[in-house]
Amino acid sequence: MSSVIWYLYEFARKSWAEKFADAKSGHDIVERPARFRDFPEVFKEYCIGCGACTAACPAPGAIKLVRDSDTSETEGLTYPVITAGACIRCGFCAEVCPTDPKAIECGENHLIREEFTILPVEKMFVIDDYLCIRCKKCMNACRVEGAITEEDNKIVIDQSKCIACGDCLKNCPVKGALKGIYISNVEEQKRIINLAVQKLEKAIEDNQDEIKVLPADKVLKMELPADELIEESLQILNNEEMVIDLIEKVTDRLKLRVITWDEEKCTKCRLCLEDCPSGAIIYDEEKGVKRDPDKCLRCSTCYQTCPFGVAGYYIAKFLLKRSPEEDVILITLKASNLPI
Amino acid sequence: MILPLGPMHPAFKEPLRLKLKTRGEKVLSAEIDYGYVHRGIERVMTGKTWQKAIYLSERVCGICSYIHTQTFAETFELISGERAPLRAQFLRVLTNELDRIQSHLLANSTYFKALEHETLFMYMLYLREPVMDAIELLTGNRVNMGWNVVGGVRMDVDDTHLQKVRDIINNLESEYDKYVEMFEQGPLVGLRSKDVGVMSKEDAIKGRAVGPIGRASGLKHDLREDHHTYRDHLDFNVIWRKEGDNFARTMNRFDEIPESISLIKQVIDNLPEGEVRKKIDIGAGYGEWRNEAPRGEVTYMIETNGNLINNISIRTPSIMNIDSCAKYMLQDAATVADAVATYASVDPCVACAERVVILDEKEGKKEFQGIHNIKYLK
Repeated sequence: MSSVIWYLYEFARKSWAEKFADAKSGHDIVERPARFRDFPEVFKEYCIGCGACTAACPAPGAIKLVRDSDTSETEGLTYPVITAGACIRCGFCAEVCPTDPKAIECGENHLIREEFTILPVEKMFVIDDYLCIRCKKCMNACRVEGAITEEDNKIVIDQSKCIACGDCLKNCPVKGALKGIYISNVEEQKRIINLAVQKLEKAIEDNQDEIKVLPADKVLKMELPADELIEESLQILNNEEMVIDLIEKVTDRLKLRVITWDEEKCTKCRLCLEDCPSGAIIYDEEKGVKRDPDKCLRCSTCYQTCPFGVAGYYIAKFLLKRSPEEDVILITLKASNLPI
Repeated sequence: MILPLGPMHPAFKEPLRLKLKTRGEKVLSAEIDYGYVHRGIERVMTGKTWQKAIYLSERVCGICSYIHTQTFAETFELISGERAPLRAQFLRVLTNELDRIQSHLLANSTYFKALEHETLFMYMLYLREPVMDAIELLTGNRVNMGWNVVGGVRMDVDDTHLQKVRDIINNLESEYDKYVEMFEQGPLVGLRSKDVGVMSKEDAIKGRAVGPIGRASGLKHDLREDHHTYRDHLDFNVIWRKEGDNFARTMNRFDEIPESISLIKQVIDNLPEGEVRKKIDIGAGYGEWRNEAPRGEVTYMIETNGNLINNISIRTPSIMNIDSCAKYMLQDAATVADAVATYASVDPCVACAERVVILDEKEGKKEFQGIHNIKYLK
């Protein structure tokens, strides 16, 4: 009973009533330190949609690019959206953002000096100076100031500034002048290239009979289904985009030299034996002159030496033809026009 | 009977199952199950550049996150053959020691919580709070600081920062003794922990106990003695004890705090001028670097191709300490409450221990049961 009276007494006090009437929570005692790094802030009007932030983010699912739908007046904006649940507040997206002013900002402590930023992607773009025609289309297409420059009449890519968006490659008119190279999984890439070359060599060797009767001014065309090769490559490196890109590059640039050997024409003069630089041609009294294809360098010295036309010399070129039903590697083979 | 504790239990900070074999109240032996918070963080880090991976490395451990980034950066500096500028090395020591103080205070506070002495538990957190503020002042964040980079530290400090840190440290030093005395001289608190959970020096060597747990059992082993900054520029003593019981482990942590305070004072007094960061060209290679974390020895083994990380392996102290706790300390504990207190005295950090995938090679199955099954420490 007495406690109830105490409560009543307490409630009847003027100071209590005053406090009750203008009750409010106290001021926020949490003080933000000067160097505090909050979640990144996105200014979508500056974004160029290059995707450097999404490529740089170490946390899975923290950032993705979205695009607003178009309206009748304006085109929809592209901008990154940050999921606070997955973001680890490293500020890396703000660091790599190439726009000026920045589309993503993250605290004062992430204004990193330029010399420390390093390419955060798996692809590197290089210019082949031999093929480059200096049209400067890549330079005009590049979104980053100073990433592609002209020095001493050569086009140069500054790797520390490049964000690897790939616009330069799309605009390059010369095939092979600008190359996008994967800098990860180098060992696996080597194995896939070796595998592709072996497969192509085998396909040509299976058609030796047709090649031998090929006239000098005719071209032999063959088709090799590529699905098997792609599947085997995927077992080495489980990244379809990378594998297709690699095989495309291999078939694009590869020139295989093919040597045929017509034993019926051979008179065992053994002129080729001395000239062969790798010792691939052997003479045996019983078997005659033999060529070991594994040792052969395809240097064409025997073809140029033999007066009876035993050795034939052909050049094969390749092209990957992609279609929804079946991927095919087209092989064209023609006799070399070297003088005998 | 077998008494299971966990994986979720109010006495534990993190999920882990402790199976106690008991007769009545007496604990005969114990077994530990891991695998409730496995995250595969090393797998996520492979194939990334160091800039991305360093942010992930400080998420290996929730409390001593700082030393992970330092060890990561120093491994890369070892591969490149260069060292960070001297000012950056001193600033690393400063933050490292602040981190050590807060980690030790938190570890002791959880031990007191396990002893059911909640006043001392709250006092320890009260002491820890200004230290966290000092870390926040320097780096901008309280736990995951993002302060280290390969080649130095991210930001410079100025005199106002150093003055504030000095004030906080002086204040901690003046208040600290009275709380230690409550534990050391207190008739009941200290008695709960003396001669409980004893691990001899031989057992500590067998169980590979490291850090304050090993040092409390007589292993005079502190990796800071070998670290180039500590060895060449700073003075400190290795704290160690012989008893090997809960009291020794707790007091060992308490006694390391004044050493850390003296190191911080040395750093503030002798901080050299100059750059805090320099550009380092990392070549391809393999590097292995150890550092003394608050709980013991942290090792990073990194193989890189110059740009991306090919392979990374992290060895944290907790896995050895928790394992030696189950094998040697939890034998013959008088009560279950003592067993829980012994487990808390080891300062277990389950999050850092659980980067492992346990593979059974013979039967080709994956499982998470018992440390003795580990084939690949990864």
